[in-house]
Formats: sequence, C-alpha cells, structure tokens
Amino acid sequence: MAHESFLEPSLIHYLILSAIIFSLGMLGVLLRKNTIVILMCIELMLNAVNLTFVAFSKYSGNINGQIMVFFVMTIAAAEAAVGLAIAVSIFKRFKEINIRFFENLKG
Amino acid sequence: MGTDALEIAINCIKLVLIFLMMVQAVPILVWVERRGSAFIQNRLGPNRVGPLGLLQLLADAVKFLTKEEFVPGKGIPLLYYLAPVVALIPGAVAFCAIPLSTPLAIEAFELFGQKWGPYTILFQGYEIGVGIVFVLGISSLATYSILMAGWGSGNKYSLLGALRASAQIISYELALGLSIVGVLLLNGSFNFTEIIRAQEGPLMFQFLGHTISTSLVPNWGIFYQPIGALIFFTACFAESNRLPFDLAEGEAELVAGFHVEYGGFKMLLFFIGEYGHMMVGSAMFIALFLGGYNIPWITPQMVQEHFVGHGFGPSGVSVMTALTFFVSFMIKLALLLWIFIWVRWTLPRFRYDQLMDLGWKTMLPWALANTIITAIVLQIAHS
Amino acid sequence: MTADALLFWFLALVTIISALGVVVLANPVFSALSLVMTMVTIAALFATLKAFFLAGVQLIVYAGAVMVLFVMVLMLFDLHKEKKAFTEGAFSGGLKLLLGGMLAGLMVGAVSMSTDLFKSVPESAITNNVTGIESTKVLGNLLITQYIFGFEILGVLLLVIAVGAVALARSKGGTHGA
Repeated sequence: MAHESFLEPSLIHYLILSAIIFSLGMLGVLLRKNTIVILMCIELMLNAVNLTFVAFSKYSGNINGQIMVFFVMTIAAAEAAVGLAIAVSIFKRFKEINIRFFENLKG
Repeated sequence: MGTDALEIAINCIKLVLIFLMMVQAVPILVWVERRGSAFIQNRLGPNRVGPLGLLQLLADAVKFLTKEEFVPGKGIPLLYYLAPVVALIPGAVAFCAIPLSTPLAIEAFELFGQKWGPYTILFQGYEIGVGIVFVLGISSLATYSILMAGWGSGNKYSLLGALRASAQIISYELALGLSIVGVLLLNGSFNFTEIIRAQEGPLMFQFLGHTISTSLVPNWGIFYQPIGALIFFTACFAESNRLPFDLAEGEAELVAGFHVEYGGFKMLLFFIGEYGHMMVGSAMFIALFLGGYNIPWITPQMVQEHFVGHGFGPSGVSVMTALTFFVSFMIKLALLLWIFIWVRWTLPRFRYDQLMDLGWKTMLPWALANTIITAIVLQIAHS
Repeated sequence: MTADALLFWFLALVTIISALGVVVLANPVFSALSLVMTMVTIAALFATLKAFFLAGVQLIVYAGAVMVLFVMVLMLFDLHKEKKAFTEGAFSGGLKLLLGGMLAGLMVGAVSMSTDLFKSVPESAITNNVTGIESTKVLGNLLITQYIFGFEILGVLLLVIAVGAVALARSKGGTHGA
C-alpha cells in the first residue's frame, strides 16, 4: 500500500469505506423480503456512491465531483418518492409487500 | 478547538454553558407563559408558590421527577425512551451555532508564572462556515422525535397525531428555507457572523452607484426583506408546533397528540425540546432580520471607543463590548419569545387542511416571488 | 493519531454499524431509523472532506425529507405478518452472501492495490482549491453555466415526479392490513 500510515485517512480509506457500504446495500437488496427495505438499501448504495464522488473530488482537486453528487442526490430523492408511491399502490391492491408475491409478471 | 489547554477548556465550558442557558430558560419561559397567559385571559395564574409564583416551576419540576416511569404495554420501549432525547439534541446543537455577541479578544497575560497567549473567544458554541444550512439541516432532524414518539407509544391516536405533525413540519421547512434565500442573495454568505456584521449602524445601501443612507431606521434585515421576515416568522411557529399551528398537540381537544402517552421526566424533556425549538427559531430570526446582537444605530466601534474613553485596557474593552451586545441580544430574544407566547393565547387554531393550504399554496409562492423580486432589484441596483 | 484521523475512524465505524443495521434488523422501522443514522454520519464524512454545503444539503434533503417520507410510509403500513425478514432458502441465501462478499473483496482489493491514483492529474483540472462558502459559489456558478441543461432537466424531472406520485396515490383502497 502506497500511503504514509495506515491510520491517517486518505483517499483509499474513503474508497474502501464506500465499497463496504455499497456491498452492504447490495446484500440488502438481495436478501430482504420487504419492498420498502429494498428501496432503502438502494438509497444506501446511492449514498455510498455519493461518498466516492466527494472523496475523489477532494483528493483530485476537481469540483465537478460535487456537482455529480448534487444531481445524484436530487434524482435519488425523486426516485424514492416514486418508489414509495408504487409501494403504497401495491399495498393497497394486494395488502402485501412481501416481494415473493410479485415474482411473476402477471397480475 | 483551541491551541493550548486553557483555550480548549474555555471552549468546552462555553459549550456546556450555552446548553445550560437553553435548558434553564425553559422554567423562566414556562413561568412567563403561565402568568402572561393568565393576564391575557383576565385571571391571575399561579402566584402562591414563592414570590409572584416564581417557585411554581421548581415545584412542578420536583413533581415531574418523582412521577412513576412507565412504558405503555403495546409500545416499543427503545423508541419510547429515545424520542424525548432526540427532541432535545437538534435544538441544542443548532442554538450553539448562532453568535450571541461580538467575539472576545483577550490580550496575552501572565498567570501562575506562565504566559497565556492572545485569545479570540467567539461568543457562540462553535463557528460554522455554512451556518444557515447547518441550522436548517439540524432543525429538520427534530421530526424524528415526533415520529418515534408516535410509533413507540403503541397508540393509534398518537401515531395519527405524529404523522400529521411531521407532515406539517416538513411542509413548512420549505417555506422556511425559501424565505431565507433573499437574505442570502443580499449578503452573499451563509455565515451568521458576516450577516450580523452587515447589519450594523443606520440604513445604508448602494443603488445605481449612489449610496442611500438614512438614520431613521437601523440597517436591519427586516427593512430589506419584509416579506421574507414575515414568512420566516410564521414558519417558525409551524416548525415548533406552537399555536396557531399546534393541531398535532391540540391541548384543549386532543389532550396532547403524539405525546399523550408520556408523563413525568420524559414529558419535561419534550417541553424543553419545544421551547428549545422556539429559541432557535427566535435566535435565527434575530440573527437574520433583526440585526443579531447589534444595538440600533450604534456600531461596535462606537461602543468600543466609549469603553476606551472610560479607561479600560484592551481586554477589558473587549469584554465590556461583548457584554453590552449580549444584553442587547437577550432583550431581543425575550421580546420575540414574548411574542410567541402572546400569539399563542390570542389566535385561534388552524384546521389541518387550512394549515396545509397556507403552507403550500400561500407561503411557498410568496417566498418564491420574494426571491425573484430580490434578485431583480439587486441586479438593477448593482448594474 | 491526530484528531482528524480519530474522527474519521469513529465516523466510519458508526456508518458501517448503521449500514449493517439497515440490512440486518427485522423490524423495518428500526431499519429506516438506522438508515437515518447512516445518512447523518455520511453528512459528517462530507464535512471532513471539506464539502460543507453538500453536508448541509444531505442533512436537509436526505435525512430531513426523504427519510421522513420512508418512515411515515412504514408507519402507515400495519405490518403484523412479518415473521421473517430475509428471503427463504438457505442455499440461495448463502450464495447471495458469497457473491456480495466477493464483490466487496474485489472492490476493496482493486482500490487498495492501485498505487498510482492521481499521479497524472493535469493542472487545468484543478478547480477545487477553495473551501467553505467559496466552494458553494463555484458550485452555483458551474450549475448555472456549464451544467445548465442538466439543471433544467432536473426541474422538469421533479415536476413529473410530483405529478406522477399524486396520480399514483389517488387510487382507491386503504392502507390498513387485512
């Protein structure tokens, strides 16, 4: 590893942290049954990506990373709103948000 | 935090003091509320315990502390206990970010045979570069205490009250944030200290190359942004769930909304949280629109020269100036808190759909119009 | 270990524990509250990376509005029948864990083995040598001049989302469990 000391935070530390959070989010999407918890794990993945962008933005001196975070944050908020609206509609129709019931495309 | 041990110690003590100031203001506020509301309603209020009823709150605190600690049977204990604590934290953290007076500039001095360097002690908990965004963000975390209280009580009516209260709060956060944009455009900074420093002395601004100045009014934000000030102040009422926006609590009708299952010490913590929210809203209003700690028409330089004329040393001048402006800030804060209490006992309550209409259909468009008009006027004035 | 390093390690620990809480906790309301904690600590991490305005926006937008929406929707659903939180099948569950672990290992390994990140950044790309309020001004400037198309499209997107969410929510039926 080509950094001075393991204890001082550098770019690599932030990237590893962000990779761990991203993997946890992905595991959540694969393993959980509740539709809304799956949506929340997607938000977790998006947050990990935001952290990567900001870390790169600081350590390379380029502020366009923060602009990307701006856009990602806005779109993630919008997508969360629509996802929740869909989840509410599904719950009203089927009285069930366990994702196993929606494995087939029909009905 | 500080360069050497003494400065770090002073900063830590300062944080604790500001927190305690916020907590200790609650008994005084409750006394003012009970006596003031009584006089508004043509009765006397509590005046038996101690002189003028001042010890009533001590008696109430003892009563609260000795009540039984219980958790509702169907409630979730973790959320039930966590909610009052989460109600307290955002108010305290946000209050520490607002400057209460001019900074203290202490010269180097000798004590216990060691040289303590020149210090600049800020009269606030900590200085944040993006102060306004920080305070807005932290205040928006107070919604979770309401939601946790409603859900953790295991009571359908608590939950309904909590959902309505949190929907109200997030609706009015929009108007709150947008009404400040005019002030940001005028001052070009998020920092509270810079905004307060721009409001010194008499009214003075640049317009098309001329400097227009009048000494009829001080240089406060409320004269530059009247609509913004009005919208911000109204949104502060909605943010702290005070009348006329306290549908979620509804003390006369719904018992207490989301904190109906709370009693004893946890209820006291909710009270402190609510009054803390009021104090943060008032402090922000003072900092943005009422000139912060500034005395009208008097700049800090004039006060400093006055004290130099009295023969204080440089540290003494700084300390006396800071104290003067602190007293000025406290007077403004007391006035605003009295207005909060006065409005509570004067106006009737809004219905929920009227409340939502007001937030989304009236205050949001007016705040947007204020932003656009401010931008246009600024562009003309500086062209 | 300096104060900055201590702060980073503390925040990283709390973030990972909260993210684990999101994935592992069975009660979805607890999961949502853990996600709020994760977002607050990520805002703090943004602040340590000197992106103060983004930290504030993360608190206001994500932790203060989006997560309130999630928590409110979860509280409206009467989820009595959640006996198990995870998908069924031990073999497929184990396979998913294995694959997730492999992805994490791949990413961490790739990052830590790259020794020449940013040895060759050209001078013209360095635009972020300002911090604090100046970075907000630079951000605002860039949004209005260089990224104006994306900015306007975001506005249209938000309008479409608002209309769509209201249209979706107007269907008949209640939100109470059977």
